[in-house]
Amino acid sequence: MSEETPIKAVQVKLVLLGEAAVGKSSLVLRFCQGDFNENTSPTIGAAFLTQKCRLENRIVKFEIWDTAGQERFHSLAPMYYRNAQAAVVVYDITKAASLEKAKAWVKELQRQANANIVIALVGNKVDLVSDSTTKPTEPTKVKTEENEEETEDNEVDAEEGEEEETTPSPAEENTSDDIRQVPTAEAEAYAKESGLLFFEASAKTGHNVGEIFTEIAKTIPFDTISPKPTTTSSGNNRRSTNNNENNNVNLGDNQQAKKGGCC
Amino acid sequence: MSLPLHLRSYREKSKDEYTRDFFNVPTQSSLPSSSSDTPSVVKIRDKGYRNYENDQLQGMDINAVISVEGKEEVYAGRLSLLPPFLCFISLDRKSCRCTIPLYTIRRVERLNSRAGVFALSLATWHGMRIILQLTSLLPTAEHFAILLRDALKSQLAAMKQLKPFLPSLYSEYLLSSPLATSTGQQQTDHLLLGTELSEKPNATAPEGEGDLRGPGGEGKGIYQRGLGETFGFPGDARKMRERSKMKLWREYFMIHGRNLTLLRYPPFQRLLQVGLPSRLRGELWEVMSGSVYLRFANPETYGLLLSQNAGKSSQSTDEIEKDLNRSLPEYKAYQSEEGLARLRRVLVAYSFRNPELGYCQALNIVVAGLLIYMSEEQAFWLLEVLCDRILPGYYSPSMEGTLLDQRVFESLVHRCLPMIQEHFVSVDVQISVASLPWFLSLYINSMPLIFAFRIVDCVLAMGVKVLFQIGLAVLKINGEALLEITDDGMFINLMRSYFSTIGNSAHPDHPDPRVRAITNFQELLVVAFREFNVITDETITAERKRLRAIISDEIEKFSKRAAVRNLKNIGKFHKDQIGIIYDHYFSAICSPEAGPSTYTGNSLPGDQFDQPRIQVDAQGRVETRIDHRTFRVFLSQIATWAREETVTTNAFIQRTDRRVADHELIDRLYFAWDSQNQGTLSLQDVVLGLNRVMTAGLMESIEWFFELHDKDKDGFLTKDEVIQLSESLLFIFRNEPGDIYLAAVSKFILNAYEFGDATAPAGSVDEKVPINGDGETASGARERSDSSAGPHNLPYLNLATFRMVVLADELLENFFANDLTASFQLEQTEDEDYHQAHQRSEGLLGGLMNLVVTNENKNRLHRLADGFGAALGKHAEWRKPSLGKSSGTDPTLSSSSSTDLKARESLLTPAQQAGQFQRPSISPGSSRTRSSSAVSQSSTKTTDTTGTTTPDDKRSLADVEMRYREESEMVKAAQEAVMHRPNFAIDAIGDSDDEGGEGDDEGVMDEVEAFLKAHGADDEGLKGEQKKVAEDLLKAEPMGVKKKAKETNNLVDL
Repeated sequence: MSEETPIKAVQVKLVLLGEAAVGKSSLVLRFCQGDFNENTSPTIGAAFLTQKCRLENRIVKFEIWDTAGQERFHSLAPMYYRNAQAAVVVYDITKAASLEKAKAWVKELQRQANANIVIALVGNKVDLVSDSTTKPTEPTKVKTEENEEETEDNEVDAEEGEEEETTPSPAEENTSDDIRQVPTAEAEAYAKESGLLFFEASAKTGHNVGEIFTEIAKTIPFDTISPKPTTTSSGNNRRSTNNNENNNVNLGDNQQAKKGGCC
Repeated sequence: MSLPLHLRSYREKSKDEYTRDFFNVPTQSSLPSSSSDTPSVVKIRDKGYRNYENDQLQGMDINAVISVEGKEEVYAGRLSLLPPFLCFISLDRKSCRCTIPLYTIRRVERLNSRAGVFALSLATWHGMRIILQLTSLLPTAEHFAILLRDALKSQLAAMKQLKPFLPSLYSEYLLSSPLATSTGQQQTDHLLLGTELSEKPNATAPEGEGDLRGPGGEGKGIYQRGLGETFGFPGDARKMRERSKMKLWREYFMIHGRNLTLLRYPPFQRLLQVGLPSRLRGELWEVMSGSVYLRFANPETYGLLLSQNAGKSSQSTDEIEKDLNRSLPEYKAYQSEEGLARLRRVLVAYSFRNPELGYCQALNIVVAGLLIYMSEEQAFWLLEVLCDRILPGYYSPSMEGTLLDQRVFESLVHRCLPMIQEHFVSVDVQISVASLPWFLSLYINSMPLIFAFRIVDCVLAMGVKVLFQIGLAVLKINGEALLEITDDGMFINLMRSYFSTIGNSAHPDHPDPRVRAITNFQELLVVAFREFNVITDETITAERKRLRAIISDEIEKFSKRAAVRNLKNIGKFHKDQIGIIYDHYFSAICSPEAGPSTYTGNSLPGDQFDQPRIQVDAQGRVETRIDHRTFRVFLSQIATWAREETVTTNAFIQRTDRRVADHELIDRLYFAWDSQNQGTLSLQDVVLGLNRVMTAGLMESIEWFFELHDKDKDGFLTKDEVIQLSESLLFIFRNEPGDIYLAAVSKFILNAYEFGDATAPAGSVDEKVPINGDGETASGARERSDSSAGPHNLPYLNLATFRMVVLADELLENFFANDLTASFQLEQTEDEDYHQAHQRSEGLLGGLMNLVVTNENKNRLHRLADGFGAALGKHAEWRKPSLGKSSGTDPTLSSSSSTDLKARESLLTPAQQAGQFQRPSISPGSSRTRSSSAVSQSSTKTTDTTGTTTPDDKRSLADVEMRYREESEMVKAAQEAVMHRPNFAIDAIGDSDDEGGEGDDEGVMDEVEAFLKAHGADDEGLKGEQKKVAEDLLKAEPMGVKKKAKETNNLVDL
């Protein structure tokens, strides 16, 4: 993939949103691992990563903004989803509240972000439930008290979600069905109704992770964004050439200004 | 959902506070006061204007000239007594500055010298002798001396703590052992040859760890130390010339004092800018930032916080746990349990210290950085200073400080680097995507650690302006490349690659090896401190002031949007209506009437962040809820009957005063709307509650009103409850003119009893004879008969009967069909752009206007006008009716008050009402003018009532309305005058004729070398005559026994 192909890469700005600890960073790391490993620093505001994705007829270069999940960073999010062509809204299938938060994100994106933004709803941590297919499992309340205790464990576990890849869940093996708090059908129905792509994935096992990004790449209406490719030559002509001219002229000015203290 | 309430309570700092900030002196509230024996370990937020207590020591400013024994330089400047500190700043505001805690002063003497010179000699703990020549008029100087004496006396106790405290500082250890002069000399020689970070191997420097420990050190001593002492400090000690720097600092300390008594003379700045030596760094950080004073004053706090909260967990502790492994993982200590444990303890302790802030991502990075050089306790206090003073609001739940400073930064880029700014605008890239982490993590996360810490050095010494200067310099240096970027990805990558090569030579191909040796980082510092030295503290302050209102409004709008969006059920309301409900909810919380419950002076420390209003829900999210008192304020804004409106007319103006009403009915609503029985109401509760009452038709209104009074929810009202319900009705009708409502309620009671007797369940009909047959009922009745008349508590009237009774009366029927629903009105509040509207204008005229427009003056004006009105016989007051049905309620205007009843009855044909009151009304109103003018408000109100008046009345009201409109125009004009503010902010950044002293220019480039040059060349000190006076003073003898001497003895004895 690192080898240059004659096909021009199309750049896509993608933003990851979701409650804290649902595994946003893990998903991106999983997706970007190998090709890109420049920065594994903690998320302050947002981490920025890039990854290419090859389709039959084109290469898509994702510029990924992995936003901080902490609630107080919420007000900074618009800065990152501005101009984004795609968004991945992540929730944790073992934590019902995280889907609520995801829905709020979707609403916000639909109202505030690009009109054409492609949104994918991703339920992460399917590795925690043994049966990762679509069998919807009801939450634990109908079950025994023992199970309810298990649920609490899960919540604690879920809060440490960012390290999910390295920390195996204690409840993982036996009672996996009970962990699931968001039935696939419910989330899928919501996604359908809101016009979102929908996946259940696992950053830990890598299940479905690549598919999310491939599917997004396929769905994006490239006609509308291709005028802004990685090279500055084509498209966007009027503005960029103007700028270039200005730049050249102004650069001299700028240097002069530097000497005089340009402010 | 947590609302940004604190933004409304923000106030600009006073001049005194700015002075304190400048000298890094803690506020008096953060120092334990002598009155309270058990200082709280939880932070108490500074609320509004502090009342200076009587026992608080007075501060004072005076002109002075400072000189130090053994130093040539003499500086004129301003001496400030900020008890318990004595601070000095030279006139140029950079050459000489010091902050000396009074408890480090051993001896103060007035010097005997030539006539007319008032001079004091201070002997510090470290044996330094400072001569202060007070150059103000003699009486002023004497007054200052008296204040100083009083302040000194108050610090006698603190002096005793000094001795045990000092060994915690490395400099004490450093100076306690004699210097090996021979090696020192060698080092100095070597320094002259090269520049910092030269690639050449340093032949003369001794190898190994020992050379870092300072002369004669083996890392012993009991000073507080960071992780670096165990795990190694970042960077190559030899390349960083640790040993040479340490020696220079040692020499500096010998003359200029150390730690608590450190004076900042010009060499300080140069030593600072070449990077602090690792072992001294922690101490210098806390000295420069002033956090050491907090550590000194609160020796127990950190330990107590940890022990008191051991084992507790909170949302913050969970978040901290998650981030521990992501905090500078490349540094060895943070791969070990020891390092992580320290990091955890500091962050957790601070989250309990300041629960309102809790924990914010990025603090983990900052604290991880601090802990390399500082002990836990040192880092803890520095963290407090960072969050409170250096980076205010950066890490708070709404992060308003971060947002504000990003906006300030953008505005500075716009002014200083307009080309770049324009380009960024044209390609639609926000600078903040890159600069946000710079500011939030003090560059620690953005560039290699050794360089980032040098920036931290400067930030802690010189304040937040350094962050801006560095940021601007980064952009300027990369200017050409930045003009090529087309999206934020390119921007980020460019910045990343610049920072990753920041240690490389800035001029790799230059023939001169000395030029080649200059790194990108050194170049960055030069650009930052030379080209952007026009960015001063004042610049930042002015820009923050200018932009704060905009940011606050944005945050409030954002959180409003989020809050509205996050409501699970908005009933039948439109989004705009929800917005209005939100505004009322929010403004009720911020209103002073709601305040006293939580802002009482004697509240417990734990209460200070509004415990009852902020709750953590099941998902661990923080939620704002309102308490009972706040609810009353809220309802008074919406329901006409939940407020008392007094309309006052005098000869000049008419105004409406609103007060919050108090009645059991309001309490009933409060408890009825508390769906989760939490004792407080969330926005969701309030929305659903309003939804029910505002969308109700006749039957629904009757039903909820019935339920409201059916306390045990058994579907029956007791006789008592019937009475209570009647009282509620009377409360609503209390301000209606005439007595038809009274009559209607009387009739209602009679009917209720009549029908009730017929329909009440068996056993409760006979109210005279207690029933004995039914054991349960009887015992229940007996129990309750103590407090009230027994059988009155038995189930009596059911909903069907109640409905029947209501429908039997036309007035009540109308009331339930329309008036009750219509009495809840959603009107726009003043909330949009609250902060901008409330921003005080500047300038002479603005200042005058501000004087007039304060609330207090407004009240005074009103009182005055009332007085005149009364004198002229035109003063009148009346209560505004809640239902607003009756016309001519204004006695001075109405043609005849006897028309009331008729007018009303004829008006209330169902068809007409349907037209007028079908939906909850929204009147946009003149929100802006209302903010400070009750006049315009009353005009709005009057307009509202005209809707239901007869044509006759309309005429008279129209006159009034016109009059009011004229008045409100005037008010509006006045308001606009107030709103207008001149551009002032950064005008200061013009041509600066102060190009920085020679020393500064070279200071960075030539680094240490410059320091070694003779200091005499420095021209910032005083010359000639004044200097001579100062020199004479050094030799002067103390004066004979004066007031001072007595106290001096005391001090000496210690």
